[in-house]
Amino acid sequence: MRSMITEWIQDLRQGASAEEKVAKLLEELQKSNMEDHYLNAICKEQAIAAARAVDKKVKSKQQLGKLAGIPISVKDCLCVKGVESTAGSKMLKGYHPLFDATAVERCRNQDAIIIGKTSQDEFGFGGFSVNVGKDYQIPKNPVDSERSCGGSSGGAAGLTKKANIPALAESTGGSIVNPAAFCGVYGLCPTYGRVSRYGLIDYASSLDKIGPMATSIEDAALLMEIIAGHDNKDATSSTTLVDYYTTSISKGVKKLKLGIVKEAFPDNSEVESHVWKSIKKLEAAGSTYQEISLPKNAAYGIPAYYIIAMSEASTNLAKLCGMRYGMQEKIEGDYNTYFTKVRSNFGQEAKRRILLGTFARMAGYRDAYYLKALSVRKMLQEEYAKAFKDVDVIITPTMPIVAPKFSEISKLTPLQHYQMDVLTVGPNLAGLPHLSIPSGTLRKMPVGMMAIAPPWMEKRLIQLGGVL
Amino acid sequence: MPTTTKQQRVVDAPLLRKVAANARLSLTEEEIKLFLPQMKEILATFSVLDQVKTTAAWQPMQATELREDKAAASLAQEEALQGTAATKGYIKGPRV
Amino acid sequence: MNSTTLPATEVMIGLEVHVQLNTQSKLFCSCPTHPSKDIPNSATCPICLGHPGTKPVTNKQAIAAAIKLACALQGKLASELVFSRKTYFYPDLAKNFQITQYEIPLATGGKILLESGKAITLKRLHVEEDPAAIVREPACSLVDYNRSGIPLCEIVTEPCLSSPEEAREFLKKLLEIMEYLDIFHPEDTIKADTNVSIKKTNFRRVEIKNVTGFKEVERALVHEIKRQQSDAAGVVQETRGWNAEKGLTYAMRSKEDEEDYGYILEPDLPPYTLPLAWIAEIQATIPELGREKAARFVKQWKIDPTDASILASEKKLAELYERMAKEVNPILTARWMRRELLRALNSSEKTIEEINERNLLNLFTLLDKKAITDAIGQELMKKIIIEGIDPQQYVKQHQLGKVNDLSELTNLCKEAITENPKAVEDYKQGEPKAFQALVGSVMKKTKGKGDPKIINETLKGMLR
Repeated sequence: MRSMITEWIQDLRQGASAEEKVAKLLEELQKSNMEDHYLNAICKEQAIAAARAVDKKVKSKQQLGKLAGIPISVKDCLCVKGVESTAGSKMLKGYHPLFDATAVERCRNQDAIIIGKTSQDEFGFGGFSVNVGKDYQIPKNPVDSERSCGGSSGGAAGLTKKANIPALAESTGGSIVNPAAFCGVYGLCPTYGRVSRYGLIDYASSLDKIGPMATSIEDAALLMEIIAGHDNKDATSSTTLVDYYTTSISKGVKKLKLGIVKEAFPDNSEVESHVWKSIKKLEAAGSTYQEISLPKNAAYGIPAYYIIAMSEASTNLAKLCGMRYGMQEKIEGDYNTYFTKVRSNFGQEAKRRILLGTFARMAGYRDAYYLKALSVRKMLQEEYAKAFKDVDVIITPTMPIVAPKFSEISKLTPLQHYQMDVLTVGPNLAGLPHLSIPSGTLRKMPVGMMAIAPPWMEKRLIQLGGVL
Repeated sequence: MPTTTKQQRVVDAPLLRKVAANARLSLTEEEIKLFLPQMKEILATFSVLDQVKTTAAWQPMQATELREDKAAASLAQEEALQGTAATKGYIKGPRV
Repeated sequence: MNSTTLPATEVMIGLEVHVQLNTQSKLFCSCPTHPSKDIPNSATCPICLGHPGTKPVTNKQAIAAAIKLACALQGKLASELVFSRKTYFYPDLAKNFQITQYEIPLATGGKILLESGKAITLKRLHVEEDPAAIVREPACSLVDYNRSGIPLCEIVTEPCLSSPEEAREFLKKLLEIMEYLDIFHPEDTIKADTNVSIKKTNFRRVEIKNVTGFKEVERALVHEIKRQQSDAAGVVQETRGWNAEKGLTYAMRSKEDEEDYGYILEPDLPPYTLPLAWIAEIQATIPELGREKAARFVKQWKIDPTDASILASEKKLAELYERMAKEVNPILTARWMRRELLRALNSSEKTIEEINERNLLNLFTLLDKKAITDAIGQELMKKIIIEGIDPQQYVKQHQLGKVNDLSELTNLCKEAITENPKAVEDYKQGEPKAFQALVGSVMKKTKGKGDPKIINETLKGMLR
């Protein structure tokens, strides 16, 4: 795909009105959203006002930002000042943040137009966007409405594919690459600490990362370039210098050594063969490949990830109790009674993860679960580090399947649901940058290839994306 | 508290209720019926970590620099109280 | 004497002390710690209100202050700053978890020496955020988050204190040290949770939560020990509260329904390696502390050890003393500062900063030259503190200089002898007290200005 951002900016330079374009887009979205449910909120007034400001800048020949007039969607878990931000949960109904998330602010500084908040599994708790909060709608796959968009950034991927709008998404255990693969777009999850989490409504703080989705590698690279970089409002935000990702697109992949993970290609499935086609293209472009094995990640990734994620989530969600922000009920009874009453508004998966997470960190159990998982995490990270001594990029399918039908998803037990993340939890646990690259379609349904790079090597992933 | 054995870590209904109370979640009988076998299955599968030999470790990342001690303007009181049940400048909460 | 060699005493007390660290901004956000106006929820921001999306960033100065204290108390510093989340639900806790230190405290060990020489050993010292202030109403709670996120230092002692008095002295010493280190704001309070047990109950541990101020801690402990002694059989392991108004402790909760805090490592604040150069820099700023200073005063200025230890107990007082001692007789100055100056300050509720040092120095000079009597000196001290007089001028104006005119004093002595025949008789019978009555009578006639030495000699000569 060509860069949507380049086209829009060209249009504006040639005299098109950002306000008109945005207004038209919003009107279409308002209609289509009734069907596909990609947006939890559409910020019409804010967007129109921002577009008008861009038009003014164009007229008065002021310096334009790199995203001047470009509509951007923002996952609901990212705070947008004055716009209801709920992370897809009824518990946060009515929460209008007093501030922009740093990633959102950086896009705004480049004159981007925030058009709305995309739907997701409640707090990111799922891989199919079916675990939406109470009173929310499930987004539908843009290719086949009987199928899932993937998750948890399902709305973001769906809208990117359908309306060609770049997105700010978020991943804890695969929530960027999974829906990107299922919807057939690029999804780039950066190194942990590359993009400030300030303004991100936490799922699991040591795992959460913000990254872009787009229909072209150019747009994904540009968005990443804009949102990356140190922020003194997030203690985990790194001071490592940011590369110029947009210049990496055309660098090619000559002499890059790819590591093909044995465990991720178990059964010669159709998905695997599609990914192999992409690997062959990379080989044709000058890279080499070799088989590698990550047995520890395959065996322990899922439990380590879920135990840590749930333990952290259960503390992050403690603050939601019907005081200070979000939904409130009539304040009566003692605090335990009131908090318990309000907290019945969590959805079922949220309750399940709070229970599991609370259990995993309780005295008598935390050594065996929480603390154990932390040390396993370190071990899995070391397995990756060792692999990167031999190869430059690690390759797996993003998901072992194409987007499943809702009827198939409903048959999964929670454990089976979790096990669908087998390929994505690894790089997420290790905090490694990873990119899902569209790799053809299988009976119309998109397939994604996932490339994983060492810390801070997002540029290598973009080089791959530039070739494919 | 000493580390429990795998057998001791099996979740039963009373333990699930205790966990729920600790998390301020009230569970209906149906929810307990639904969650209990699911949790048992999940935790049994996760116990695979018992086999792994590891050395204790913290988070894999390092924090960046600490913040300089400079006071900045706070929110105006109206902003702080926005969206809350407020009385006389206080945020109202349930009885303690 | 070392505490560990003491035999098991009747009472075992341990303290968990919470003191506020003196910073400009809160522990994890930049809200002011001492807002200019006392308006509820006027010193808050999305971070200390726990709004979703916000993240904590640690205040460097708060950690520096805690490191300074840990070093001054000879604790062993951890190599990394590691925060944990302590999760429990309460309306005053903005996030329903408190960021504290659990797994790895900032420092372990260390001690504080009491006057008796007994060392109170410390278990740990860590940094944490304060919850908000809560007003209890019958139907609801009203919360003021101005306190939410204030930096606190928690100091936990071994249960080696053996009386409420020791507990009080320990807290006083701790504050004295913090004041010396310039990490404690005088307006702020000290809070403590205490555990106390007695031999009679086989040391069954009772905890008293949240007592404010060292005098209250002593009171609460006195009360609690009495309660346990009078009903040893009824003592259960529990947590009790302190009602300062009624002077009573009351049952709060028993061990069984205590919250499981489910500690995890704070994922928003990854471990921070404490740079050795930074620690060295902080250590270099630790000044001479009270105990060392008192010892030096005795050596350098040859003053009485009790005077020295009292003067050194307060940083500002000690500094004032040293400035004076350089100018005028240090021994006399120490005696006068410790007794008369402190007395005058206490009764007037004035502070050391309010004193005009020049005036004080003039007073000590007059005393040292014996130009005024002690009695006049005491009067002048009060006037210096309360009215801010210059003693030199005042003495001139009111002619308060010592009366040492021999003929005048001889006349007054004669008068006193004539007026007090009984005292004269008693003195001659061998009662020394009677002589003092005669001296007093002469002094009265001079309005306190008579040179006691001349009066003494003259009277003695006349009565011989």
